[in-house]
Parts: sequence; structure tokens; C-alpha cells
Amino acid sequence: MYRMMKASLALIFILFLVLSSWAGKQAKELPFPVKQITLKNGLRVILSEDYSMPIVSVAVAYKVGSINEEPGKTGLAHLLQNLMFQGSRNVGQMQHYSFIQKIGGTLNAITTDDKTIFYQTVPSNQLALVLWLESDRMKTLNINPSNVGNIKNQLIEDIQLQTESDPYLINSWEFDRLLFSSFAYSHPVLGTISDISKISTEDVLDFFTTYYSPNNAVLTIVGHIDEHKVIQHVQRYFSTIPMKAAPPPLDLGELPKIESVDLTVENQMASSPGFYLGYQLAPLYTDDHYRLAITEYALLKGRTSRIFKRIFEKDKTAISMSGGIETRNDQSVLKIFVRANNEITNERNQRAVLAEINKFKTDYISDEELYKTKNMFKMNYLRQFATVLDKAIFLTEELLDRGSFNQWMDELNKYLTVSHYDVSRVANIYFKEDKILIKIKTK
Amino acid sequence: MRIKPRLGSLHVLFLSFFALFLIQTLPLGSQERFRRSPPLPEPVPELSLPLVETHTLTNGLGIAIVRKQDQPVISMRLIIMAGESVSPDHLPGIATLCARMITKGSMNLRAEEIEEKIESIGGNISVETHPDYTEFIFSFLEEYLEDAMRLLGETLLRPTFPRLEIGNIQRSMFYDLAIQNNNPEFIARRLLYQVLFESHPYRKITFDQGGIKNLSRKDIVSFYSRYYRPNNAKLVLIGNLSLEIASRTASRYLSPWEKREVEPPSVPLLNPRDKMKVCFVDLPHAKDTTIYLGNIIFPITSQDYFPFTVFNQVIGGTPNSRLFMHLRESKAYAYYAFSEMWFFRSCGIFLIRAKVLTEFSYDAIQGILQEINNLRYVPIPSQEIEQAKSYLIGNFPLKMETYDDLSGKLSEIQAFGLGRDHWERYYSNIIHINSGAVSQMGQKYSLHTPVIVIVGNKEIMEYLKEFALVGVYTPDGTLRYEIKKGEK
Repeated sequence: MYRMMKASLALIFILFLVLSSWAGKQAKELPFPVKQITLKNGLRVILSEDYSMPIVSVAVAYKVGSINEEPGKTGLAHLLQNLMFQGSRNVGQMQHYSFIQKIGGTLNAITTDDKTIFYQTVPSNQLALVLWLESDRMKTLNINPSNVGNIKNQLIEDIQLQTESDPYLINSWEFDRLLFSSFAYSHPVLGTISDISKISTEDVLDFFTTYYSPNNAVLTIVGHIDEHKVIQHVQRYFSTIPMKAAPPPLDLGELPKIESVDLTVENQMASSPGFYLGYQLAPLYTDDHYRLAITEYALLKGRTSRIFKRIFEKDKTAISMSGGIETRNDQSVLKIFVRANNEITNERNQRAVLAEINKFKTDYISDEELYKTKNMFKMNYLRQFATVLDKAIFLTEELLDRGSFNQWMDELNKYLTVSHYDVSRVANIYFKEDKILIKIKTK
Repeated sequence: MRIKPRLGSLHVLFLSFFALFLIQTLPLGSQERFRRSPPLPEPVPELSLPLVETHTLTNGLGIAIVRKQDQPVISMRLIIMAGESVSPDHLPGIATLCARMITKGSMNLRAEEIEEKIESIGGNISVETHPDYTEFIFSFLEEYLEDAMRLLGETLLRPTFPRLEIGNIQRSMFYDLAIQNNNPEFIARRLLYQVLFESHPYRKITFDQGGIKNLSRKDIVSFYSRYYRPNNAKLVLIGNLSLEIASRTASRYLSPWEKREVEPPSVPLLNPRDKMKVCFVDLPHAKDTTIYLGNIIFPITSQDYFPFTVFNQVIGGTPNSRLFMHLRESKAYAYYAFSEMWFFRSCGIFLIRAKVLTEFSYDAIQGILQEINNLRYVPIPSQEIEQAKSYLIGNFPLKMETYDDLSGKLSEIQAFGLGRDHWERYYSNIIHINSGAVSQMGQKYSLHTPVIVIVGNKEIMEYLKEFALVGVYTPDGTLRYEIKKGEK
């Protein structure tokens, strides 16, 4: 009996060694405990304990997004995201959704330029159910002409509805096309109707085979978990999903600098005139990025930011304003979109926004303003860790973007040590004449 | 004898590689057994809600705190026990205007200085006016408790209500309502509340654009001095702080707040409607039909809260509930169909909301009424009850996760005088509900004689001929005329 037990333990141990290798270590730099392991098939697994509520968030992310689409096949990544809810070998169509709903959980998915993330939060006693669901669709997704056809129709209808309800959407796509300097970055994640209608079942299958593999994915589990038990569950559901060939490396070449554009377009559907203004910035995680992020907050985040105060409180010339830094893979930009009541105020707003930006170049930001801006930034930064789902998404993105958590050390401090001089310096470097300006006239 | 174990070990090793080989080369069509069906859940985890500690300052201000250490932020809510229901009858909207003016100027700070001070501590303040109470929701970085409390004291105790700012807020309220007057959901909910509340003080929550410009500074000052009193307020804080520190800091800045007797609001009990009423709002640009259908139910303090919560879940809590399955999945009448419960101090409202294709407006309403009647008369399968309870129990901790969620629940406990154990006993109160108790809810409350509000374009009239009487209203809720069955 003892011998048999010993033998079984040996079997488990050997299987464990064969199937997985520990790359894990405690990443002490993060504000909460994190452990990382890698299964033998290449699936990277992040575990983080949080006992504040008996709930758990699970995120499964594939390193693929619109950036991986070829010309003529835009919308493919987003299409596949939607297809992931159409059933797999043991899970019926839309059953993933109803399984999670019935137990009081929440779920969603998102496709960005370089990631597709599926996530759910459930009571902690239901963790195995989520792993069962996620592993089933990773392993045996139903890709057939009927499912693909349904999703294509649905997505085409969605684009039509979105362009109807948001008359500025087409202008924003044109803005992106000019601001991001290559096809891979600039085309919309939703894709175009003509491209989507031409996507074939084989295209989808190829895309799935290339990118939806354990070795191109990250599984993150955050919440009320027993680490030992979770590892057993993860092994059970994911370790036998076969590894696939590594996706082809993304070669985007040297990104060209934008040429300055000053364009006026007519939009019959828009209710009010407006303008888009954009600049190319330093990429994420560079020293200048930290400086630009603080400058961005001083410029347009919060009710006391420069542009907000100027156009809403002093001049009272704007209806709405949105914008901020947007990053697509290794390209970052600043986008500003302002709407006005009429053409005269639209012109005034353009001048006012440019004047506020230029002030950073010539005058140092005051101590008080910098202090306030950093506290606003800090508050929003900390919100990234407000819920177990927030943490799961943060960890997933961090690992996909940077490959490890080692570089995270003291990250917040890099923003909080930006100086007056830094703000002025980056304003002079990045807010130059080579900008994109699209003016929208209503009639 | 010595060899056997070694052989055994080799055998095991061989088996393990064989097992691996098998796993990797399972014939097409076969799979591991555990993949065939969903795993069973583990036992429901215990939910222990954080301890609430309370204290009252000498001027009567009640303080409640929950100590949480996972976020370096503090979520604070100041509750004034006066909402729109105590606005004078001729001044609906004054409670809302008064609340929005609190941060718009004080003895020592101008509006823009207040904004700067809020953002300087990483903070944000929002204001919500309910029928029974008003909330100031303030979050900030934890190291600035002192600054936050000083600012609260300055704005709350010494507001100056500058005329220029009053004009700005009035304009903003006016335009907000003007935009909402094109929103079918807003129009439908407002008219439903207007009809259900009739002449009850709660009706004032539906104030319209017209009256806003008539509200004067004198009215605001009078409302403020009458209701903004420490003995008529509660302060709720969530964060890494002790009751002692919270009370000491609050006392430092809020003790000068003068206590004065506040007349308790008169909010009589409301009876449900016992006759169905159909209201149609003509909204020419609406492509589809928006339906709001509801009636008065009990206040949140009633014992019926828990069985009715399960009732609500069965009929329309989620896309797995009866209304959605019937109106969207089975008949394809609707884009969505859900039910909701809303609670006030003296009553609650149960409502069903749906967006449907115009040509199915009448059928959709009949479908909703049919589902209500089914729950009244046809026994509910216990499996369906268990599923509803499973959703509610599973979803509950998800709604208590953030500091803002928690302070919201705590604020509800303070505002409605709920027992401390109201949320603590949620699991045990839900778990014991059976099918009979849920059916009883359908019979006890007059859900089959609701007010039905239909918002859409005139084409709908064609489909509403079957109703005995339809009142036709303008988007702002004014009755234009009535049509009887058979009339043109």
C-alpha cells in the first residue's frame, strides 16, 4: 500500500516536472503578492491572492490584436474575440455567458491593437468552472461557416449602428490614419465593413491557429484563492492543450514621423463643429513618457486642468472635450477632440488649446500646479488596483507588454519625480509644428 | 524482493511517459473525461462584512467608519437627511440646486479655489439628491484626511451661494434636462414616477426645466439653514483610519456646525394603484418603443424585501430571467427586457423596462403582463428559484468590492435606518426563500394593475387600440388628451 502510494506520488511528481517548469518568484516590487509560473506548453500563469472579498477574477489574454491584421483583413482580431462566445466542443453557443451569469458573475472581452483579453469575476468557489470554460475554447473553439457568418453580420450591423449614433466616428478614424504613421497601427480595431464581409472561415481558422495558443497567452487569476489548489486546477485544464508554432515576429519596420496636416472636412451628420488635434510622443516606459504623462494631466485631466479651465470656465466656448495619451504597441500619441457651438467658437477653441500647450514651452509650471497634477495622477494610478479585476488586467497587460514584473519597481515614483523643467522640456520637444489638425465643419 | 520495487518504479516511469504519450496522441474525437461537463462548485465561501463603528459628535453629527487597508484612499460620504421630497411644493428642484451650490463658494474660498483644493488632494466630489436624502461623495488620497475634512467644514458650514454661480448651475441643470427630454428612457421613467407618486412629496424628484429659473438665492439659503444641520446629517468613511482619528478630525472642523431642531419630513405611506393605467408619450424621432411598467411596493425595511428580491430575479433580474427569455429570445419582440426595484423611506417601486420593435408594442406589453400573472398563479419550479438565489448570493460580494460600493451601502443603512445586520444577513435571508414565498409576493402586491408608460412615435397608436383607455402625454409629462377603445 505504502509502495503504491509512493509510486503514485512519484508519478504526480514526474508528470508535474514534465508538464511545467517554474519560472516563478515573488515580485516584491508590486503593491500586492504575485507569483508567476509557466506550463510546459508555454502558457504563462499569474496568481495573486486577495482575501478582501470571496471572489476571484480570471483573465485570459492572447498576444494578438488589430496590429497583426493584414491589409484587406481588418476586423479579424475583433471578429475572433466575438467568435470565442459561439461555443466550443463541450460548451454550447453563448453558454459561456449564461454559465457565468447564472452564478452571479460578470464577464467581458476586449480587443486592442496588440491584445485580446477575456475576463470574468465570479464567487471564489466557482473558479474551476471558469478554467473549464476558458480551456475548452482555447483548445476546441467551434469555427465553422455558420458561426463565422453570424458574427460577420452582427459586426457589420454594429459598425453601421455605431456610425449612425456617433457622427464623428468616421472623422476619428481619419484622424487615427493620419496620426499613427503605418497601416498596422492606424486602422480601426472594428475593421471596415468591406473587409469584414470578405473574411472567410479559413482566414479565421488561420488566425486562431497562429495566435490562440497557450504559448501566446497569459492566464491571470486574482482573488480569494488557495494557491496550491489553483495550480492543480490550472494544470488539469490547461496543461494538455498543445503548444503551437510561435506566431511570426511582428516586423513593423521603422515608424515614419508624421507630416504636419491641417485639414478641413465637412460632416453633414455632425450636430456641431469641432476639431481633432494630435501629436506623436515618446513610447511607453521611456523617460520622456513619464514626463509627458504628467504634462498630459496638467493640460487636460480634471476640472482644473489648463484646457478645461480655459475653454469651459474662462472662455465658455466649448460643448465637450475629450482626449489624452493613447498608446498602440510602441507608438504613443496625444489626442484632443473639442466640440463647439459654432464656427467662430470652434476657431477660438483651436487657438486657445494651442496657446495653452505653448505656455508649457515658455513658462515653468508652478509648484502648486505640479503638486496638484501629481496627486491627481497618483489617485488615478492607484485606481488600477481598486478591484480584483483591475489587478488581473493590470498584471496581464504588464506581463504582455514588458515580459516580466521586474521592471515595475518604483514605477509610480517615476511619474512623481517629474520636475518643472521636465514638463517644459518635453513640451518643447514633442508639441511642435508637425501635428495633425482636422477641423470639422457641419455644413 | 528487492528487485520488485525497482521494477515497479521503472514501470511507473514507463507508465507516466505512456500516459503522457496517450494524452498527447489521443485519437481525434476523444478527450479527457473532465472536459465533458462543468465542474461542480466548492461550498459557498463565507462572507464576512467589515465591522462598522459609530460615534456621535456633541452637535449630533453621526459618524460611521469601516476600516479597510487594501487601498491608500479614503471614501467619504456626507448624508443630509433631506432630499427632493422636502423641497417646498412651489419650489421643486431646490434640494438639488442647494446641494450643487455647496461647493460653489464659501466665506474664504471661491468656487475655483475649492476645485483646486479638491484636486490637490487627488480628490473628487460628486453630489446626488434622492427623494429622502442628499449625498456628498468625496474620495481622496488617504494622507489628506485633515485637508479633506477642513475643506468639507469650510464649504458645508460657510457657503455663500454666489449669484453668479447660482446662474451657472441653473443653466447647467436646465440644459441637462433639455438633453434628457429627448431620451426615451428618461421620459418614460419620469412619467411613471409622476403618475405613481401623484401628489405625494416624492413626485418633486421629477421636477422639470420650467421651474428651475424661478428658484432664487433666498430659497436656497432658506432650504440650507433649515435642513443642513449636524443633527440631520451623517458622515460615513471607508479607509485605513480608526474611529478615534475620524471623530477627532471631524470634530475639529465640523463641531462649530450649529445644531437646530429639524422638522421631520412628512412622507405618508403610498398605496399601489389598483387599476391599470396606460400612458403614451409621442416622441416623433423615436425609432423603437420604450416601455416602463410598474407599481408601488413596500419600503426597504419590510420583511418582504428578501422574497421580493428573488421574485425580481426570477422575472427580470438578468438575461436568464423570464422576461428576457420570453420577449427577446423566444418572441424576438425586444432588444431587452428587465425588472428593477427602487426603494425610498416610505415605499418602493417595482418596475419593468423594455425596448421593443414598434409593431410588437402591444404584444410585448401583453407578454410582460402574462409573465406577471404566471408568477402569481403558476407554481415556480424550485430549480428556477435555486438558480435565482444562486445568482443573488454569487453576485452580492461583487457589489461590495470597492470603497465606493461599501460607502454606498453604509449610506443606505444610515439613510433608511436599516439594522446593521441587513446586509450581514443577506446570504441567510436569501437562502431560505422557497417557491411559495416568491409566488406570494406576486399575489400580495398589485403588479397586475400597473401604470404602463409607452414612449415612441405615433405609429404605435395603431398597435395600442386594444387598450380601454390611453392617455396621450407630451415628453415633459403633460396630459394632452385621452383615447377610448373604438375612438379614432
